[in-house]
Amino acid sequence: MIKQRGHAYFLGWGIFILIVGVALPLGARQYELALLTEIIIFALFAVSYNLLLGYAGLLSFGHAMFFGMGAYTVAVALNRIPGLPLFGAVIVSVMVTTATGLAVGSLLLRHKGVPFALLTLAFNALFYAIATKWHTITGGDDGLSIRLPDINLGFAYLKTANITVFYYVTLLTIGSVILFCWYFTRTAMGQTVLLMRENEERMKFLGYNTNISRLILFVFTGFLAGLAGSFYTLFFQFTSITAISIDMSTIVLLMVIIGGTGSFIGPILGACVYIYLQDFLSDITDRWPFIMGLIFIFMILYVPRGLSGLINSLIERLRGRWHLPIKVETEE
Amino acid sequence: MGEIPVFFLHGLVYAGLLFLVSSGLTLVFGMMNVLNLAHAAFYMLGAYFSYSLLKVTNNFMLSLIICPLLLFIVGAAVERFLLRKVHVYGHVQELLITFGVAYIITESVKWIWGNYPLGLNLSDFWSGTVNLFGLTYPVYRLFMFFFAILISLIMATVLYKTKIGIIVRASVDDSEMVNALGVNVPLVFTGVFGFGAALSGFAGVIAGPLLTTYPGMAADILIDAFVVIVIGGMGSLGGALLASLMIGELQSFGALLFPKLSLALMYMLMAAVLIIRPSGLFGEEQ
Repeated sequence: MIKQRGHAYFLGWGIFILIVGVALPLGARQYELALLTEIIIFALFAVSYNLLLGYAGLLSFGHAMFFGMGAYTVAVALNRIPGLPLFGAVIVSVMVTTATGLAVGSLLLRHKGVPFALLTLAFNALFYAIATKWHTITGGDDGLSIRLPDINLGFAYLKTANITVFYYVTLLTIGSVILFCWYFTRTAMGQTVLLMRENEERMKFLGYNTNISRLILFVFTGFLAGLAGSFYTLFFQFTSITAISIDMSTIVLLMVIIGGTGSFIGPILGACVYIYLQDFLSDITDRWPFIMGLIFIFMILYVPRGLSGLINSLIERLRGRWHLPIKVETEE
Repeated sequence: MGEIPVFFLHGLVYAGLLFLVSSGLTLVFGMMNVLNLAHAAFYMLGAYFSYSLLKVTNNFMLSLIICPLLLFIVGAAVERFLLRKVHVYGHVQELLITFGVAYIITESVKWIWGNYPLGLNLSDFWSGTVNLFGLTYPVYRLFMFFFAILISLIMATVLYKTKIGIIVRASVDDSEMVNALGVNVPLVFTGVFGFGAALSGFAGVIAGPLLTTYPGMAADILIDAFVVIVIGGMGSLGGALLASLMIGELQSFGALLFPKLSLALMYMLMAAVLIIRPSGLFGEEQ
């Protein structure tokens, strides 16, 4: 499913996206900039989800438990600890999420396939129930609003209320984390995960402890989702029960399926398309989730490799027409 | 302590409802290895169909017959035209397609009937109470309980005493072998899937007047039904029955004894079962 390509290919893409990302605020309006920030945050969420689904072959219906955990922890930390800097809160939040990932993962990863999917759903429901009921901490249905602290770098003072500033902060932080994720898929650990999906028996036979590798991956994706969640709160300066609901798990699943699980870029593409479509469709009709559902079923039935798969095969076809040499790809 | 028998009966009623939903779920899973995420959406559709039908005809018995039939058609169509197409891609795709169906059904329900709870007024006969060994108990709940038992008995008879039942049980064990013996297994799949949907829709019809009809009702019962089949062991009807009783009573007495913890109790039970017996009480060891 996942094609391995040269470093140059991805580095080229990465640098291209970064340049575009840095240059965009020069031409974009405030509203578009806010939309872009949201896309970046959800891109990280989708990438973390695809590490589970696309790379490890683990279908989860409960990824929002980490996203919501991150979202709530950052809000609680900022509200309860006076004078906490912005990144201090983010660090607290990802630490809590990582610990949650470890606890949940060690319980759930005894299962694979369908029972695993089912259990993630049940655990998400549990976290959702806790968030609704534990009113003193989470604010229940009312949610929590925060006051965004400014960032003092020593030599510069960044006013985070300014959307352009916040955009750059998000782009830098999350962009570098996404790049790290890409790097992770190239490391021995990342390759282990891929091989484990293809032939676990053999990996065990070769002496790998596949349970530990899976747990590490699960905790890592939990950490990433928590980071995305904490930025979600910072961006909206508010967090609500939506962040930890099964709907949020649904959204990330839709993004990844639309974008395609077969490549690293896929979920990022999916996040862009989803957020943009949502913005576009919700202007036209209140029934936009229905249209999203139709798109989802259409993708599953007819485009199982997602948009990124579609684009790839299009490129291959064009190459063939122009009689260019087709790059040999090693499929693993 | 007059409330203990009442809460015990409440638990039994909910257990009956849960068993109707989870038996179809576990049967389909055992047979096709598909976890049908749309199963609870069928339950919700049952409740909404019945709501509309009652508004027109005001005949509860009629909707008890018609709505499950409608859901049989819906379920069979989903299996035939969607699920079968993605079968070749594997379990993840099958899971995803049922998820998509559930999503679309939920959104359509919000669209057609509105995103708010709908109340149902049954005729006086249903809303009365009955004296049961010195205990006053609502007629409707009692009716729900006995109907759940009746349907379960019919299902058990069909499964264990008829030829169709033998084919279905054999397909749960080894569908390829049954296919090789000359049985049209894809047709059996469609039938069982539709039957599961009908059972679920039936549960929806009888649940509607009691638990109110709202777009979130699918998600609510889905989680409970999942917990039931995880605890009971996936694919096991006996396990589903025992686990339904456990969850039903746990929820009922949980609400009485520890109102704040009642939601968490179910998950605690599930976590405990998972730690001690990961494949569930009646599940096969993996």
